[in-house]
Amino acid sequence: MIHPTLTAYLVVSALLFGLGFFGVLLRKNTLIIYLCLELMLVASMVALVAFSRFNGTLDGDVFVFFVLTIAAAEVAVGLALIVALFRRRHTVQVEELNFLKH
Amino acid sequence: MTTDLLQAAAASNHWLAIAPELILGCAALVLLVLEMALPREQHGWIPRFAVLAQTVVLAGVLLNFETRWLGETTFGGLLRHSLPGQIGRVFFLLSSLLVSFLASVCLPRTRMPRTEFYHLILVVTAALMLLAQSNSFVMLFVALETVTVGFYILVSYFRDNPLTLEAGLKYLVLGALSSAIMLFGIVLLYGAVGRVTGADGAVHTGFEFGTVATFLQNNPGNFLATAGALLVLSGVAFKIGAFPFQIWIPDVYQGAPTPVTAFLAVASKAAGFAVLLTLVRNVFPPLAGVLVPVLSLLAAATILFGNLAALTQRNTKRLMGLSGVSHAGYLLLGVGASFTVPWAAGAVWFYLFTYLLAAMAVFGVMAYCAGADDTAQDLDAYERLAKDQPLLGAVLAVGVGSLAGIPPLAGFLGKLLIFIAAFEAHLYGLLAVAIIGVVVSIYYYFGWIKTAFFVDWHPPGTTEPPAFSRSAPGWVGAATLVLLTLATVLLGFYQAPLAGWLALK
Repeated sequence: MIHPTLTAYLVVSALLFGLGFFGVLLRKNTLIIYLCLELMLVASMVALVAFSRFNGTLDGDVFVFFVLTIAAAEVAVGLALIVALFRRRHTVQVEELNFLKH
Repeated sequence: MTTDLLQAAAASNHWLAIAPELILGCAALVLLVLEMALPREQHGWIPRFAVLAQTVVLAGVLLNFETRWLGETTFGGLLRHSLPGQIGRVFFLLSSLLVSFLASVCLPRTRMPRTEFYHLILVVTAALMLLAQSNSFVMLFVALETVTVGFYILVSYFRDNPLTLEAGLKYLVLGALSSAIMLFGIVLLYGAVGRVTGADGAVHTGFEFGTVATFLQNNPGNFLATAGALLVLSGVAFKIGAFPFQIWIPDVYQGAPTPVTAFLAVASKAAGFAVLLTLVRNVFPPLAGVLVPVLSLLAAATILFGNLAALTQRNTKRLMGLSGVSHAGYLLLGVGASFTVPWAAGAVWFYLFTYLLAAMAVFGVMAYCAGADDTAQDLDAYERLAKDQPLLGAVLAVGVGSLAGIPPLAGFLGKLLIFIAAFEAHLYGLLAVAIIGVVVSIYYYFGWIKTAFFVDWHPPGTTEPPAFSRSAPGWVGAATLVLLTLATVLLGFYQAPLAGWLALK
């Protein structure tokens, strides 16, 4: 039985966060960008649970539920917005969504 | 045993302490019920009910300004009732009332449903008020996200306009990005602080502001905690549009409906500064050695960027956005000063109130001058405004003059107080940058006034400029605009009550 250390969890969390962050900056498809944003939230949740477990406090676990709820609300609004945009513009590629330049 | 725990946890839940927020939340629900219950021809009562609810809550907060919970924490340490929190409540209620007024001007021009708009404004305002009183990172994050998700919908509210949807998407992606960064910062702080057992045996964690402050005091130079603090502050910097995080501002301000642009410019920015002041004064003072240079650099870059980028703008909404960036820069100067000069926090609030009065007056004029396409508000549409509609012209001149900081007006006093605070805090270099910024801003603000007041010469033979789709304000609109203008002028001459109320000196 292997017992991962706190550092192992934090490395996973930092990797996930970095993946999400650079995904948001570099990818061109709005849906993928949105997935990457959720990945960043998940990364924070992994770190929260790990800290909670190793610090011996429950608050972090409870906070995870709040973050989950917020992420769900964000997804509901965000996907609705992306669908509305697709109906108007027939594209979700970021480089084609550039009407707002002067 | 379980019931004892529950009772102990619920002992500090004083629901009366958050009665204003509860009333706003219930009123928001009642709006939705009214829409279903009332026949269609009586739907005009819904906005009136929303305004009535906000007025009643505002009056309640003002009458009961020094509540008996001042200085106490409630809800297990989630909220802390303080004078800045009360000031924040009044500020957000005032701005939401004025946004409701702007909405009553703009919404009838579109086919969009109205009830949901007021519903969202009420919910967002309640969350803003809780945000200003939060005493824990859990409360801070949840309230901030309630505000942000509400704004995602509000920004893209005119969903038949592709530009508005594009602005909504940009705000969504960048807003969610900044929230994720902030959350990671909160998690790092929580992890760094760990489990703290207080003197009375109670367990504290890194979610509580007080515990984090004590931890930072005792462990200077803790890498994890410093990184967490910087990540949290960059999340806040996004909300206020400070320099590296300002890219979303012009596009989103242009695409959003005018009332929402006003709400973003005034209330969302003020929320960022309320959070920033709470963090700087109650949580991060031990990090002053790191934060003062960082904030100073941010302030200088924000002032310069905002003013230089605004110089070339022809769209008034983009102009308000970019000049708003420079206002955020002046406010950051005040926040930087508040590390060493305690009354600088009051100066920041004073500036925010003068900005509220002036910006809302200007947005009111913009709402009346906007044509069918809410996103295309060009400077040219203000030609001959003072001649055709002297009232709107005068309101615009006073509002824009106050934003520029012309002496007898309130905006000048706001800037002066911030600059004195910066002088007392020995931020001389930054002060020089800010004064250069003010001088530059006069150019583009006066370009706007010039367009409205002086007729441009058109060479003979060219066609007359097209007729403008302006609407004249009704008596409610005229009274509101005149009140805002009078307040701006009066506050320039006689500011003792507001200054005393904000505990300046």
